[in-house]
Amino acid sequence: MPISRRAFMKAGGLALVSLGADPLFLDRAAYALRSAGGAASGGKTLVCLFQRGAVDGLSMIVPAGDSWYWQERQRIALAKEQLVPLDGMFALHPRLASLKPLWDRHSLAIVHAVGSPSTSRSHFDAQDYMESGTPDVKNTPDGWANRYCTHAAEHANTPFRAVAFGPQLPRTLAGSAPSLAIDDLRTFGMRAAQASGEQKLTRAFEELYQGAATGLVASSSAETFEAIKMLKTANPTAITPGNGATYGKGKLATSLQQVAQLIKADLGVEIAFVDVGGWDTHVNQGSDQGQLATRLDELAGALAAFTTDLGERMRDVVVITMSEFGRTVKENGTSGTDHGHGTAMMIMGGNVRGGKVYGRWPGLAPEQRYEGRDLAITTDFRAVFSEVLQGHLGPASMAQVFPGFDQPAAVGMFG
Amino acid sequence: MNQLIAVLGMAVLAGAPLPAQTPMTSIDSARHVLNRLAYGATPGEIESVAHDGVLKWIDRQLGYSDPHDPALADVERNFDVLRVSMLDMQQMLQNNQARIARAQAQGDSAARQRMLDELRTDQLGNRRSLQSLIAQLPAVTTVRAVESDHQLDEVLVDFWTNHFNVFINKGQDRAYFADYLETTIRGHALGKFEDLLVATAKSPAMLFYLDNAESVADGSDQRALQRGRGRGGIGSQPAFGRRRGRFPNPRGGVYPGGVDPVAMARVRQAAQQRAPRGLNENYARELMELHTLGVDGGYTQPDVINVARILTGWGIDRRDASYTFRDAVHDKLPKVVLGEKFAAGHGEDEGMRLLKMLANNPATMHHVSAQLCARFVNDAPPDGCIDDAVRAWLKSGGEIRAVVRAIIRSPDFWAPANVQSKVKTPLEFVVSAVRAVNALTDSTPRLAQRVAQLGEPLFQHQTPDGYGERQEDWVNSGALLARMNFAVQLASGRMPGVTVDLDRVVPVTDDHAALVAAIDHAVLGGAMTGNTRQTILKELADVPDPHIARALAIGLAIGGPEFQRQ
Repeated sequence: MPISRRAFMKAGGLALVSLGADPLFLDRAAYALRSAGGAASGGKTLVCLFQRGAVDGLSMIVPAGDSWYWQERQRIALAKEQLVPLDGMFALHPRLASLKPLWDRHSLAIVHAVGSPSTSRSHFDAQDYMESGTPDVKNTPDGWANRYCTHAAEHANTPFRAVAFGPQLPRTLAGSAPSLAIDDLRTFGMRAAQASGEQKLTRAFEELYQGAATGLVASSSAETFEAIKMLKTANPTAITPGNGATYGKGKLATSLQQVAQLIKADLGVEIAFVDVGGWDTHVNQGSDQGQLATRLDELAGALAAFTTDLGERMRDVVVITMSEFGRTVKENGTSGTDHGHGTAMMIMGGNVRGGKVYGRWPGLAPEQRYEGRDLAITTDFRAVFSEVLQGHLGPASMAQVFPGFDQPAAVGMFG
Repeated sequence: MNQLIAVLGMAVLAGAPLPAQTPMTSIDSARHVLNRLAYGATPGEIESVAHDGVLKWIDRQLGYSDPHDPALADVERNFDVLRVSMLDMQQMLQNNQARIARAQAQGDSAARQRMLDELRTDQLGNRRSLQSLIAQLPAVTTVRAVESDHQLDEVLVDFWTNHFNVFINKGQDRAYFADYLETTIRGHALGKFEDLLVATAKSPAMLFYLDNAESVADGSDQRALQRGRGRGGIGSQPAFGRRRGRFPNPRGGVYPGGVDPVAMARVRQAAQQRAPRGLNENYARELMELHTLGVDGGYTQPDVINVARILTGWGIDRRDASYTFRDAVHDKLPKVVLGEKFAAGHGEDEGMRLLKMLANNPATMHHVSAQLCARFVNDAPPDGCIDDAVRAWLKSGGEIRAVVRAIIRSPDFWAPANVQSKVKTPLEFVVSAVRAVNALTDSTPRLAQRVAQLGEPLFQHQTPDGYGERQEDWVNSGALLARMNFAVQLASGRMPGVTVDLDRVVPVTDDHAALVAAIDHAVLGGAMTGNTRQTILKELADVPDPHIARALAIGLAIGGPEFQRQ
């Protein structure tokens, strides 16, 4: 009988008695899940990387075979000889070159001309729609990843099932299934001048909340103290990068390193969420140098370090990048690009059938564009998310995760 | 019904036990109103409100004509942002944008970085820079919530700020938000809902935030647009170099002729990019979905389009940073909204009629009353208090005070199931904690930054729905830990932005039992559970220093579960 942890806690201890079930989660503080069959999800992890600000998909994954790319981007197009060719049509931005080995090993798939059917070019609305998973519906209370976690809630036997790195829970993970928001693993816990003080405060607050908290505060605080204990036992921040991987500086690299640490500590992370901003390149976007190149450098560096670090373990891990929309085909008057429509996503790891660019290419000729200016969308982002969830994490009701979305033909990245 | 109110009122006033269903003492009632209608009690305040009469306190709170507490005049003098005009802030914003444009024009060079660094240093180092002024808004809001005697007004201002949410960091809104908060919201928070609605509809902040300033009649030709612009239309810019003297060069010089050509090119470019293409439904939709009728308020997509058409022409005159109606881009055809016909050719009056119609629609009364009840009664507000509020709305013609009074008089407000039933928002938690220890605030943004760290950066909610009112919006692991750490830091006197003197809370003593009882009384208003008392006593057992023991006990009480609720 699937019953959410949160509903359990809300109902209070009596519910346990009446169900005759053991309150397993109440005293599982000291165990860490075993990767070999311990985690009910099969030990699989999905890492969602949100590129906030609308990444220029045409610079990230360059449609080098489409002459309109060169025609419309006299100042910001990349030089042909700098491109990292993928197939006859597409090439990687040179600053993404460190991801090419993944492509060659068929571990990196790309979906191009992907995005939301919403016509909004507002960052706020479009991010909201992509996170809620319901384009053009503003009053959806929860995020798509949270709805996935409410499905099969009986598997929710670790507070680390859904973790967001940041001070707030992103919309993607908001909802009734428990999720952790962790800004930095190294400072997650009580702070005091001395370690003994930290222990004393942690113990005291845990007793206070166990004894007197009710409702959501009770369940969330129970998860919090359990997470603190599991972190203390597993000590993931002591795990050093494997396979000689080196993470760069910056928030993205730190967050991805900590995701890898949680995975390697077998804490049962099923969905991890990481934000990376700075993609709103209206002015002086640059080509092989400049703003966008700097961001891509950071992105590729962190992803390359992450995949190297996890090594063989990447079989159980899929990383997907996403962004609220793409940017105009034509460069603007300030050597940048404005808000557009379709963009590109990268999917790496797990059983993804990589080494291929998925999705029908709509073409960049003016009459092929969306509203005459933007890359048209031929793949709905929900089709990609659905396939990643089912192909990697396991079957679930997509009608529940993406209500109102009629699943189209498979993109074909898995299975 | 009236009898029940009378009985309730008498009981509360006299401190006598209330009817069997609501066994609240006058102390309980005082604690409840200070939690819900104010930002929590200061030490001793519960007793004094109970002593003077809870209803008397409520009447006084409902009786203020203005959210501004005159006693705060000295404190408010520390916040320059309260005395800068919207036009001046718009000028500062444009100067900053021009500097950024000049820096960007340097390409990917060291010069560009240096110019951007200079701008950042100028902004951070100057109390009167746009960035510093903007940072004062959450700060003054937090300080007012702590210090003001007009507590219910401050609570209502917070409510309306979220109901009519504007994201302060969206483009021009950095210049418009201060006036929006001070004039539009605070100036109308206690009046008629209809007036508040019209004020928000005409505010440059809302016009920019929800894009109505960009919305023009489909088919408005470019010449009409240009004419519209000439009279302060969409893209009209204050003429640099003429309005405020010459355009200053950041390095101290002045461009020949007063105009920086690169900046002007950038501004023209931006104006072209902004050039409206047609109807924008953004405001029309949120006006009905969020501000008035509610998502199930019975409107259709054609209604949204027609509302947007009616409001074409409602825009911003950037020459004086004010609302303007531009007839040239107004849709001149007839429209129908919710079955009501709007005859062609009535210009701005169509919009005024529409706003009045929406403000007084029964769906609006129900939707807004339910939200007020969610704030004051329960996350899931009972029908009874909503009905009471709607009746008062009808009777008073939408007087906000009358509606709030009806909610407070509703039996649901006093029902035991609704007492201590709501989780505090980060703002409520931080402010009530500071009040509970009688701490003194300063005029820096540091306390407001803690509110932001707990998850509620004021005025920075990006989407138009504003910050939520339900516990699901605020309770998560990181947030709870942050609250516990905040409490410990505050009680130990290590909180930047506030000065804490625990002697103003409870006296220092070696008698732990007496200490914890005094803290229960002063900080939790007697709501401490037995478990909390025992846990704190146990933790105090190995703390010999009575000052450290007092700080630890207060930190645990504020960081503990009782204090998270109101």
